[in-house]
Amino acid sequence: MSLLEVKDFGVEFHDHLTPEKVVEHVSFTLDEGEILGIVGESGSGKSMTALAIAGLLPRKKMIKEGEILFEGKDLLTMHRSELRGLQGDEICMIFQEPMTALNPTMKIGRQVEEALRIHHKDMSPEDRKKRAIECLENVELKDAEAVYDSYPHELSGGMRQRVMIAAAMVGHPKLLIADEPTTALDVTVQAQIIKLLKKLNKKEKLSILFISHDLSLIEQISDKVQVMQRGRIVEQGSVEQIFKDPKEEYTKQLIGAIPEVKL
Amino acid sequence: MKQIFKKILSMLLTLLIVSIVVFAAFEIIPGDPAISKLGSNATPESVARLRAEMGLDRPFLVRYLSWAADMLKGDMGTSYSYNMKVSSIIVDKLPITLVMTVVSMVLTLLISVPVAITLAKYAKSGIDRTGHIVNQALMAVPSFFLGILMTWLFGMVFKWFKPGGFISYKRNVAGFLGYLFWPSLAIAIPKCAMSIKLLRSAILSEADKEYVRTAYSRGNSTMEVLYRHVLKNALVPLITFWGMTVADMIAGSIVIEQVFNIPGLGRMLLTSISNRDYPVVEAVIVLIAMVVVVMNLIVDLICRKVDPRIK
Ligand SMILES: Nc1ncnc2c1ncn2[C@@H]1O[C@H](COP(=O)(O)OP(=O)(O)OP(=O)(O)O)[C@@H](O)[C@H]1O
Ligand SMILES: [Mg+2]
Repeated sequence: MSLLEVKDFGVEFHDHLTPEKVVEHVSFTLDEGEILGIVGESGSGKSMTALAIAGLLPRKKMIKEGEILFEGKDLLTMHRSELRGLQGDEICMIFQEPMTALNPTMKIGRQVEEALRIHHKDMSPEDRKKRAIECLENVELKDAEAVYDSYPHELSGGMRQRVMIAAAMVGHPKLLIADEPTTALDVTVQAQIIKLLKKLNKKEKLSILFISHDLSLIEQISDKVQVMQRGRIVEQGSVEQIFKDPKEEYTKQLIGAIPEVKL
Repeated sequence: MKQIFKKILSMLLTLLIVSIVVFAAFEIIPGDPAISKLGSNATPESVARLRAEMGLDRPFLVRYLSWAADMLKGDMGTSYSYNMKVSSIIVDKLPITLVMTVVSMVLTLLISVPVAITLAKYAKSGIDRTGHIVNQALMAVPSFFLGILMTWLFGMVFKWFKPGGFISYKRNVAGFLGYLFWPSLAIAIPKCAMSIKLLRSAILSEADKEYVRTAYSRGNSTMEVLYRHVLKNALVPLITFWGMTVADMIAGSIVIEQVFNIPGLGRMLLTSISNRDYPVVEAVIVLIAMVVVVMNLIVDLICRKVDPRIK
């Protein structure tokens, strides 16, 4: 059984007079320790798919179709409290804007520990702090103790994204969803974050759903790739297959558009 | 640190200006403390003699400076009408008004925070809409009218308290607090309504921020997201409002003390104004100004504590 199995997933918005399908017939699987890259133009439904898996799509004004099986259980139909039990513990998500994704009035330490406070209530505060510091060190933040006691506005964008990753990793999740985690960062920091994710993937057998519209990043990090356009998957396969021998015209166009300079 | 220093400097300046304005006001408004003390059929000679005795014949500036110098030393002078030290009158009355203000503020906080969170959670639903209408109505009703209404309903119909039956804290603290609860509630209700309105919309605008999505992604429920993450951020604009509210409540006590027959600071201020008892009026007003100014400083310090981004 795959860790994650998305079957014929679709999203239809009902907030206007005419319903609008923004994701249709999306199916894919993700195994333990695997990295799946999702590429596609803006508005192709990447974030909708990611948010659905993270359980963050609103309950109202939209219809979700199909199944999203996590370890065999459907996230779309399970009870909300059961879903909350997975969120932050087994399934974690990091976002595009590290500047705004952290709570500005809460110390970094508390935010990194939060998933432990929610899911591992039996842990002592000292153990939680130890684990948080360990995670901050694992994401290669220098002076983890100082970071633990600082506020988000005191850190750079790259540092905040590392903090987000540390907070995601704190409960040893099985799946990390990264929705354009490097888009807001400059190129050198981008490369470091990619390396870091790759390291966590190896070390913790973490499965990663990596979304980007930067194909060169996707090529560096992914084991397999799927290309989305207008809410549908147009092509999926291993990295080699997609980059060496793309079948679809749209994929060829995307690959043709990669700038020559590689990182 | 430098900002705090600047703040304190501007506080002192504010107090200076308030004291001059208050002092000058009694130069301008008609009425003479000597006449009001002796009665209107006193002879001009006796009035002049008393004026000299009270030091009222000296020039304005001299009087102001000697009064200000005394105030700085902590000497508030002697009341014209009570022949008592102003400070001892104030020490007697201040606790009443202060307790009433503190109780009102505590009620405002205890009621408005959970109500605002609930309305925000069910935003745009039936509860929220009903809440909005009730709120709008309560905001518009002045405290003194609520006080009259409460005296009738809770005092006369339900007999939960004895209207006009103020009990001094010197005699019975529980009875004192029990009586002050009602005027405090009357003061608190419109402030609550205003706080709820402001806090609800602050919460809703915070709820759209991205850190809220992060909080959900860690497995928080909606209530947990609201209390653990959103509330603190939404409180920042409210703290300033609440600081102003405290000052407003003290000023508002003047009217509510009349309605509930409470011998507090406000009551004393009114009597002293009509008696032209300048030392009392001046001291009370400077005291109120001091509370306002100190509240400002406290608000500033709390805001800094709550929002670390404030420089
Ligand atoms: N509230 C909404 N109502 C209607 N349509 C919406 C709503 N939110 C998003 N959409 C639409 O859903 C589609 C998919 O959006 P999604 O955010 O998944 O795209 P994306 O692939 O992540 O794009 P990007 O690269 O810009 O992040 C878009 O066409 C978008 O306009
Ligand atoms: Mg997106």
